Amino acid sequence: MKHNIDPHRIDAFIDGELDLESQLEIERQMRIDGDLRERVEGARQLQAAVREQADYHEIPAALRERLDALAAPKTAPKMAPKAAPAASSRGAAALVERWFGWRPAAASLALVGIGALTMNLATMQTSQNDRLLDEVVSSHVRSTLGQHLVDVASSDHHTVKPWLSSKLDFSPPVNELHLPDCEFLGGRVDYLDGRPVAALVYRKGRHIVNAFVWPSTAKDSKADFSTERGFQTARWSQGAMTHWVVSDVNREEFNAIVRAIQSAESAK
Amino acid sequence: MGDEENRQRFVQLALPHAGAAYNLARWLTQNEQDAQDVAQEAMMRALRYMGKFHGDNARPWLLQIVRHACFSWLKENRPAERTFLADDDDSLQEIPAPASEEPQSIALRKAERREINQAIAALPVAYREVLVLRELEDLSYTDIARIAEIPVGTVMSRLSRARGLMRTALLPATRPVLRTVPRAVNGGNAP
Repeated sequence: MKHNIDPHRIDAFIDGELDLESQLEIERQMRIDGDLRERVEGARQLQAAVREQADYHEIPAALRERLDALAAPKTAPKMAPKAAPAASSRGAAALVERWFGWRPAAASLALVGIGALTMNLATMQTSQNDRLLDEVVSSHVRSTLGQHLVDVASSDHHTVKPWLSSKLDFSPPVNELHLPDCEFLGGRVDYLDGRPVAALVYRKGRHIVNAFVWPSTAKDSKADFSTERGFQTARWSQGAMTHWVVSDVNREEFNAIVRAIQSAESAK
Repeated sequence: MGDEENRQRFVQLALPHAGAAYNLARWLTQNEQDAQDVAQEAMMRALRYMGKFHGDNARPWLLQIVRHACFSWLKENRPAERTFLADDDDSLQEIPAPASEEPQSIALRKAERREINQAIAALPVAYREVLVLRELEDLSYTDIARIAEIPVGTVMSRLSRARGLMRTALLPATRPVLRTVPRAVNGGNAP
């Protein structure tokens, strides 16, 4: 027989938004009602497809810069000289105004940039990257399941970098990330893409972040984000190194981590 | 003093969610340039009203400001979409839900990223916002209700409709209407 369950309730059920009693009641009915099981499964599939594949639009660098300028202290800055020109409030206002003045030109440039990026991504060797994506995520999962998260546990990159360099045929970039509630746990040697690689491990809140690095000949590229089995991943080339980052933090925090790694890198 | 304190709270509480602010603005305005402008305007407003925020999770609060800025923008620049929103919720309900006897899992073929993005973009904005807040920002119904300024029950029904529309959009174009019934093998030979 068929229980007619309101579709709204199925959606609330997969979102875990029903009260406990209703949640258990649907679970109980699912055991005896194949049709209901199928509907729940269908709803979950759609949800997974949207979460994994829909674009999470990353904030454009230009906007981030303007927001940083907006948030910069108004008093005389005692920060790095790099940030100084934009740090006064007049600087911030001017930057914002200038932006509005330049908009049309900037917009068309941005479009060209997006076009070029899309073309690049389209011609990438996708199958190799898919395989690597799988390897990277599996390695991340293994590291979080077992006891083998780090070979060298230290929050000091001056300790971790020499240790990794001594075990590998290259010297990986090792950076502490200056993000709130983010801790550098250390590093380990892992094996990916048929070679030993450096894995740097961070903890963001209660989530583990693995950042894999190994040498490559590819020229610098922007980060390519994707989601695999619910994990956030990003890959890019920078400073003659291939970078892969993977974690189960939410996308926003993940993007911030990737940005922090990239800027720590480019600040060198 | 007050200004400086506001600024520090803004840096600590609101600025970390600039990414979410932009993503929401991008999905609601549907283009990069306007999303940048609207998100920036919302962030400036957040800075100004920082003193009025009391709490520790500024994400829903900030997204509410962003959402508000987006709807003002839509009202001015996309009046057609806005008209739809002016309708009361009952008229939203008239969009047919997928026939419930149709097994949902069979229908959903493996959709490409592009198709999924297009299907979200094609949703009426009232549905698009709840879907984006739920699936991309992973917010609870309570937070979504606060951001979109609607009751939790409406969040539930809009989200359900949004998913129904997504499912319809992602259906294979030529789906069999009739169930195939196996012919009787023995024709009329039965005793």
